[in-house]
Amino acid sequence: MKEYRFRLILILSAIALSLYLLYPTYVDHQNQMMINKILVQKEKEFKLQNPQISANTLDDKLKAVEDSIKNSDPSFNKMKLKSIKLGLDLQGGMRVVLEVNTGKLLEKLAKNPDDVFKKVMKSSEKQAALSEESVVNIVAKNFAARGIRLSRYFGNIRQSDNEIISDLKKDADDAITRAMEIIRNRVDQYGVSEPSIQRQGNSRIIVELPGVAREEEAKQLLQGTALLEFKLVKDPQLTISVMKKIDDVLAGTYASDTSKADSSSKSINKVANQNKVAASDTNKKMTPEEFASKHPFFSIAMIDPKGSTADAYVKADDRAKLQLMLNRPDVQSVIPDNMQFVFSAKPIANQNGQPIYMLYCVEKNALLTGGVITNAVATISPETSAPIVDMEMNSDGAADWARITGANIGKRIAIILDGVVYSAPVVQNKIAGGRSQISGSGNLEEAQLLAIVLKAGALPAPVDIIEERTVGPSLGQDSINSGFTSTLIGFLVVSLFMIVYYQRAGLVAAVSLVFTILFIFGILAGFNATLTLPGIAGIILTIGMAVDANVLIYERIREEMATGKTLKASVDSGFSKAYSAIIDSNITTFITGIILYQFGTGPVQGFALTLMIGIGASLFSALVISRLVISYMVAKGIKFSIG
Amino acid sequence: MRIFEDIHIDWLGKRKIFYAISLSLFLIGWINVFVRGLHFGIDFKGGTEIVLQFDKPVNVSYIRQYIDNIGLGFVELKTFGGETGVLVRTESQYIPKNIFPKVVDNISAEIEKYYPGIPKKISDTTLSSVTYTFANADTTDQIVNRLLAKGYQAGKVSEELTNTQMVVRVGIADWIKENLRTKMPDNQFQIIKEDHVGPKVGNELKTNALIAIAISLIGILIYLAFRFKFIFAVGAVVALFHDVLITIGLYAALYGVIPGLNLEIDLTVVAAFLTLIGYSVADTVIVFDRVRENLKIHKTMPLEELINQSVNRTMSRTILTAGTVLLAIFVLLIFGGEVLRAFSFTLFFGTITGTYSSIFIASALVLEYANRFQKKVNF
Repeated sequence: MKEYRFRLILILSAIALSLYLLYPTYVDHQNQMMINKILVQKEKEFKLQNPQISANTLDDKLKAVEDSIKNSDPSFNKMKLKSIKLGLDLQGGMRVVLEVNTGKLLEKLAKNPDDVFKKVMKSSEKQAALSEESVVNIVAKNFAARGIRLSRYFGNIRQSDNEIISDLKKDADDAITRAMEIIRNRVDQYGVSEPSIQRQGNSRIIVELPGVAREEEAKQLLQGTALLEFKLVKDPQLTISVMKKIDDVLAGTYASDTSKADSSSKSINKVANQNKVAASDTNKKMTPEEFASKHPFFSIAMIDPKGSTADAYVKADDRAKLQLMLNRPDVQSVIPDNMQFVFSAKPIANQNGQPIYMLYCVEKNALLTGGVITNAVATISPETSAPIVDMEMNSDGAADWARITGANIGKRIAIILDGVVYSAPVVQNKIAGGRSQISGSGNLEEAQLLAIVLKAGALPAPVDIIEERTVGPSLGQDSINSGFTSTLIGFLVVSLFMIVYYQRAGLVAAVSLVFTILFIFGILAGFNATLTLPGIAGIILTIGMAVDANVLIYERIREEMATGKTLKASVDSGFSKAYSAIIDSNITTFITGIILYQFGTGPVQGFALTLMIGIGASLFSALVISRLVISYMVAKGIKFSIG
Repeated sequence: MRIFEDIHIDWLGKRKIFYAISLSLFLIGWINVFVRGLHFGIDFKGGTEIVLQFDKPVNVSYIRQYIDNIGLGFVELKTFGGETGVLVRTESQYIPKNIFPKVVDNISAEIEKYYPGIPKKISDTTLSSVTYTFANADTTDQIVNRLLAKGYQAGKVSEELTNTQMVVRVGIADWIKENLRTKMPDNQFQIIKEDHVGPKVGNELKTNALIAIAISLIGILIYLAFRFKFIFAVGAVVALFHDVLITIGLYAALYGVIPGLNLEIDLTVVAAFLTLIGYSVADTVIVFDRVRENLKIHKTMPLEELINQSVNRTMSRTILTAGTVLLAIFVLLIFGGEVLRAFSFTLFFGTITGTYSSIFIASALVLEYANRFQKKVNF
């Protein structure tokens, strides 16, 4: 037994690890089933309440229910993050490749565009549609061909064509960064779970939105224009008094509602615990539960009692819940008409590393919109060496800005893009002439982000959809079903064949096949990999290929036995002689797997990944598990047949 | 149970027959490639493809009458999955110039329906969008919302409060959907799949696929040259070319022959080809591995006899390993659903030709080389 101990421990720990890695996927599946059950029931209820309910309203209501269930227990999200993800082709969703329309951007940047300019742009656009070359180069070439200097339309008269070209290229590059930020901001707010926004090459953005059902709306989201606004942050005292009113409204109804809130009390508990400092000024002797039920608003939106502002701190997990609270009609009724609560765009991390959003209270009417901004650049201030953003406005804007800043010295103005706050600087003095300096960014990156946002209002980044793939949820579900049916049938057919052909040795191969499949899924979960339909095909293919190693070994053992060796000697030399063929043949398949992974996109990458993982797992099963079982059987004299 | 046990067949003596078989398969396929052409999916050609799932069963020819006269030129229609699914595909990227005005008229009529007599001006049109300008910002907002609710891709040109411009995007897919929705009001549909690939992207994907195949072949060549003698690597890679070319030929020959089997070359089919390259060499390696081993044992045996013996000895395992893979792929072909059919088909026939070439072609090439140059192959 001793000689097997190490290998046995190795195998058992591999199995235990796989099961451990797969556990979250199992729990997540159970959670999803539970949520779906509730949703089906709720759908019936909603339809009963209002038979004429429109599909969109129903969707919204169900989404709200789903969100509130998911947010009620943080472990739901934790499990989801650790489970095997399904690709867009399996869960449904959209994959969109966007390209920044540099032609449109150049038209916007050009000063006094005339007919000649338009003509050149039109023909350049046609050439660019089929060419790999950058649009800026094509346009520059076309102007050069007509003997027109670029400085006639871009930059200033002293600049050479080459300087202008490099400036324009930088502008085009900026436009992509801007478009990405705008899209990221919107997608975050739209509430798509696990979106992926990546930049590809020079001018492309790949956006993947899993589970998006309303295709038109999502496309609008990606292509629409951005709104930048400057809004006055409300006076802290006024804000706190409104917040207190909201708190009272919520507490009044909330108190009778505690039974329903049971499932969510766990998370409130934690919040309230950490909130003890914030709560201390009002309720020193209260337990966290009491505080949470008496002050449902302040237990989630925490105010720093010593702070000079009324910005509330909201944990990322609580944001959706707070939004639901704020949307309630009874809460809305106590918020004055000209006031509005808005969240910060990005979360900051608190001491425990948890993401925290800020909640600001601003005046509803914008002081100014971003169309007046002509430029914004992030730099390091020469005086304080702190990062700052220089913002320039056109003459219209500058006049308004001087009046606005003059009237609000000492107050704060929030910079809001598409409804979320990026910064809320304090007005130091009246700014005339349209040149402002915004300080207070934590680092240069933050300042650069703010500059991007400020420009987004003035210079939209026009994007075109150049590739789009949408899979409806029903097709996705069909694919999952057919995928798993095929996996099961494939496994049964191959196992049956092995058992018939090799008898007991075949049974050993079939059992190691079970472990191979277990390892594949375990590793997929461990890598947080995405399972796609071709990925499932890869697993089925692996099932067929995994027993190859067993076949090679068994055939070799038979051959050795035919030469008159004992069973034990045949098994030993069978394994060792089959090694080289097994390794060589698997490595070539692995090589193509790597190349597929490099060159493939989305679903195909999923296939390459399962193929590679499958090869690794099947080698382990055949060379370690099968070998151990067979050697053990032979050593113990257990009846072993190889057909 | 045992198959091919203890066989002594002079395979290499019959190699001319196998060359003839391979050559004729190759010719049949490639005559078809040149005459009938290869059919690429929109991944490589660019274009628009939508799959509609109707509420009630539909007939493709019934839908064709509505599609043929909407001015898109040639539109391909196919059943997809069951009898309620229809795949609509066109290679056009944009709505043709001659029907663009019609599309714009439709939008204008839609606006007119809700806001009769409202002053509007078309301020810009591109290949895929039209921009309207209205008198004031409020009506612009309302019209945008109205059209959005109607399923148009309408949007404001800018979010500034003073914005009076509305841009409506019109794509091929929108035009097809709009037409079918209005013409078949009693049988509504859902979009279950929609793909749109621009011409530039299609070209890039094609280049990438070719590069990937080339790198795979080179990678395998290098690995095998490292593990075996260089001539074995060449034999294996030539056999791979043989497999890939014959399978491609088969694609052209069988296109449209088997009903329900949609043999178009798309990204997943290329993935299948790459897998084929990786897997089909595995069988060749099994034979070569044995040749390598025998070369060390029987130092004086003539090469032809030695290879024959190696092929005969490994015959059963070559057939068995390919057999289990074929079993799994066959299951995938039958139960894997519409999306994976062409993929499984490629792997299925590719594995068959791959096994055949491993046994009969790859080793024969090594022998041809040794005979021609009178070289002794050894390790």
